[in-house]
Amino acid sequence: MTQATALASLSRRKSGKTGLRLRGGWRINLLYVPALLLFAVFTVYPLVSGIGFSFTDWDGYSPGRAFVALQNYLRLFQDATFRLVLLNTFIYGIGSTILQQVLGLALAVALDRPFRGRSAARAIIYLPVLVSPVIMGTMYYLLFQYNQGALNDLVVLFGGHRVAWLSDQATAVVIIVVVNSLQFVGISMIIYLAGLQSIPTTYYEAAMLDGAGAWQRFTGITIPLLQPAFATSIVLNLIGGLKLFDMIKVMTGGGPGYTTNSVSTLIGVTYFANQSAGYASAMGVVLFIIIAIFTLSLNALMNRRRLEQQ
Amino acid sequence: MKSRLVLTVAGATALVLALVGCGASGGSGAKAGPVKLEFQTGQAVDSAFLKTLTTVTKKYEAAHPNVTIDLMPATQTYEADMKVRLASGNVPDMWWTHGWSLLRYSKFLVPLQNEAWAKNFNPALAPAMKNSSGQFFAFPVDTDVAGIIYNKDVLAAAGVKASDIKTWDDFGRAAAKIKAAGIAPISSSGKAQGPAGNLADWIAAGAYSKSQLATLKKGTWVDAPYTHVLDLIATWQKQGLFNPDYVSAAADDISRALATGKAAFAFGQNTTANDALQYNPKANLGYFPVPSLTGGSPYLIGGEMNAFGISKTSKNVPVAKSYIGFLAQPANATVLAKAAGSIPGLTNVKPDLGVLQSSYDSVVKPGKVPLVPYFDRVYLPNGMWNTMVTTADAVVTGGSSKVSSGVASMASDFATLSKQSQ
Amino acid sequence: MTQALKEDLVPPRIGAPAPPATNKVPGAHATGKRVGAIAIGAGLIVVILVQLLPFYVALTTALKAKADLSSQWLFPMVGLYWGNFVTAISDGNILQAIGNSAIVTLFSTALVCALGALAAYPLARRQTTLNRAVLLLIIGLIMIPPLSILVPLYSMLNQLHAINSYWGIILVMTTAQLPLSIFLYSSFMRSLPVAVEEAAVMDGANLFQLLFWVVFPMLKPVTATVIILTGVAIWNDFALSVYVLTDPAVKTIAPAIGAFFATQSSNLGAAAAASIMGFVPVLIAYLFLQRYFIRGMVAGAEK
Repeated sequence: MTQATALASLSRRKSGKTGLRLRGGWRINLLYVPALLLFAVFTVYPLVSGIGFSFTDWDGYSPGRAFVALQNYLRLFQDATFRLVLLNTFIYGIGSTILQQVLGLALAVALDRPFRGRSAARAIIYLPVLVSPVIMGTMYYLLFQYNQGALNDLVVLFGGHRVAWLSDQATAVVIIVVVNSLQFVGISMIIYLAGLQSIPTTYYEAAMLDGAGAWQRFTGITIPLLQPAFATSIVLNLIGGLKLFDMIKVMTGGGPGYTTNSVSTLIGVTYFANQSAGYASAMGVVLFIIIAIFTLSLNALMNRRRLEQQ
Repeated sequence: MKSRLVLTVAGATALVLALVGCGASGGSGAKAGPVKLEFQTGQAVDSAFLKTLTTVTKKYEAAHPNVTIDLMPATQTYEADMKVRLASGNVPDMWWTHGWSLLRYSKFLVPLQNEAWAKNFNPALAPAMKNSSGQFFAFPVDTDVAGIIYNKDVLAAAGVKASDIKTWDDFGRAAAKIKAAGIAPISSSGKAQGPAGNLADWIAAGAYSKSQLATLKKGTWVDAPYTHVLDLIATWQKQGLFNPDYVSAAADDISRALATGKAAFAFGQNTTANDALQYNPKANLGYFPVPSLTGGSPYLIGGEMNAFGISKTSKNVPVAKSYIGFLAQPANATVLAKAAGSIPGLTNVKPDLGVLQSSYDSVVKPGKVPLVPYFDRVYLPNGMWNTMVTTADAVVTGGSSKVSSGVASMASDFATLSKQSQ
Repeated sequence: MTQALKEDLVPPRIGAPAPPATNKVPGAHATGKRVGAIAIGAGLIVVILVQLLPFYVALTTALKAKADLSSQWLFPMVGLYWGNFVTAISDGNILQAIGNSAIVTLFSTALVCALGALAAYPLARRQTTLNRAVLLLIIGLIMIPPLSILVPLYSMLNQLHAINSYWGIILVMTTAQLPLSIFLYSSFMRSLPVAVEEAAVMDGANLFQLLFWVVFPMLKPVTATVIILTGVAIWNDFALSVYVLTDPAVKTIAPAIGAFFATQSSNLGAAAAASIMGFVPVLIAYLFLQRYFIRGMVAGAEK
């Protein structure tokens, strides 16, 4: 990981480092020591001990465990379920991110102009973000229920037959992506609203004088100037999507079979239900490595973009 | 200015450390005098069972003013929570063993076979709860005697009689009639984990011959009968006998479907029937014995359900034993078993089964139907319950193509887990 | 931007969606504009209804007895049923849980803001290779699935006697939310003009004065953002809280609601009632902070 960082910062430095000259030099770094201390104790230490389990056959609760070297990792590379679930994880992450950007931007544009009830509309769209994903998931599950669900009641009202919405893997994955995006679209909307408000209206006025249409103004001014907002929104949404847990648990429990699990939910099942804590720990390690590589490349990409802009 | 900076940092750090410090010193507490027991009940916070347990416990506390018993409710993460606590050494004084007092928890529990009430231990529980040297590790509130739960009205409407279902062929014909009447006969769930496992467990208990069961007990896996189990499930899947929302149904959806006549059969503990009554107090439910795959007579499944164990590491084992002795008194054990809605775990306690009383009177009481233990608890090594869940689930969702891979994963898990538990 | 800030806060009127933006836009092609505005308005109304649907279902569920199996669309036929709210309060201890959540959220969020703002400053203003790496590492920490650290974390908390204690969960929650706070603060700080700080330094301000008199006062809007995003996450946390807090005396709202769903039985109505009660404080806090919120998000939206 250091390589990518180093590269990014090297190129950044060449292009002229902006920074404040402060007396005290490196000592200012002491300001982040308390935070790092907390991370060291409550995140890094447990993480490292957890990595230790991944070399054992521990069942997750008994006192005894045997050292099995890399066996769990070798098993992981042959595990078709894990590959599928890893793919799901990225579908959840990237799918939600794309949907939230499109919808969030559309909503932001629609809610940028003043009209009566605008702040009420913004607040309502943001409301679901305030609810715990477990509870939101349960409510969405009620909507999609087979016998009792609100959605099927509508289908029946219009003369259709009840639909088992979550019984097919592909449909279930799409529903989970949509529902997760709906819950958190408020965050993207707010970020883009903030972005839109920071674009000077004079740009648009000038473009109008030049005879640019609405779409041209949107692609020519709005999109390029929202670039930094994209970065923030994408990072936040990606994190949420890749870590998706409760929504899957409540909607499908990972089924049919293992096919709608994300790596996070699979780790839970493997750790506790399956009593293979060692194997589950190996999954956690591999997931962390994969996500780290993914995030770093994304970060490098965005840095390059930003540089090209400057 | 340097010093100011250091001061800010030190201040923030000190704040963190102070929080750690003051809490740490406050943790270790009272020893002499009052005794406090932590009891993880595993029950939902508003469940009838927890309420009854609370009432009985208050009586005990009134008689023993120096004892406080903290009855803790649980969420769906109860099993994971218990595992985390066992792994970390922060073990509660007592906990609900939900069918696992022997296989999973016995190494953490105090043996209880020498308690005064132990002479009334229901022998039907012995195969699942006693080890080879006669020890058992939990006080059984009830004995889980279960068959196939059914909605009497749904069967009647389809012209089917439960008493006529003696073989799986009979069952298949009955289910086909019900399906023809427009109702998905079997209600189960993949999301809730348990129901799919019960499906395999119920059938498997009658799929193995005596000699094959003996082979399993010796630690060698036998393929063929389990193949028959999954084949049977695959046939049902092909005929569309399962509820359409099998994948995403919650345990509650099964109860509600039974209660409202949207399902005919469910494979599970009698709590399913009791839950169904909360949705429809007039639901006409019962259970009948499980047909055998080997052509033997139909049977019922029996085993541990609600049982309480005492931690080996508890500082107050004698107090906990006295408390359990109090719970085991016939008057208290009766109300507890009634609240659980099932047959008491002690022989000197009178059953009060509510809606299921008539099934009990006609099926269990005559004593002619054999009672067999949960298949996985007795014949499979610890950890294989989940394999049964996933293999059955794979067939319900994926059909007959998943049978051979399911049997293979049973075989390989049997081998690794037998080795691990030795 | 100022127009948004000046605008009055209209409380969301449930069931009465905002009227669409019609013919307010000045311009020549009136009909085309109007069609566009109507389309946008219709789309907005659909999204608003979809977003309100789960809340509506929660409400009808909470107001029905368990044996009332009427459609989720309908309110109970014969009188509202308040039993679920009674159960949530008397059995579920929801009011106490709300109090506990308030304590945990208040302290954790305060720590998240304080430690986050301190930590972000050097990361934003002294962009060395080391600090860039530190920032990336911190963002990487957000990605760790809670289950991967659960057992070792729990063991350690147990040794510290931190299980079932406010301070234990406060530290855990603070640590869990700190990366996001640092990320938001540092991007906001980078968007602030350096000139103000340089001027202060020229005038002889030391770092202490610089931080408390110059930098921190500028952080108000982003602090609103941090409070909303991390505070909500802490208030709603289930993944770790359910293990660390098992004692009803300290249990927070999410595990308390979870206690209506156990392995053997569940009570959806009471859970819905509890969820609604647990939602009210967050909603109020949000409505108070909303006006600063968008300005704080400019953090990530400007260069």
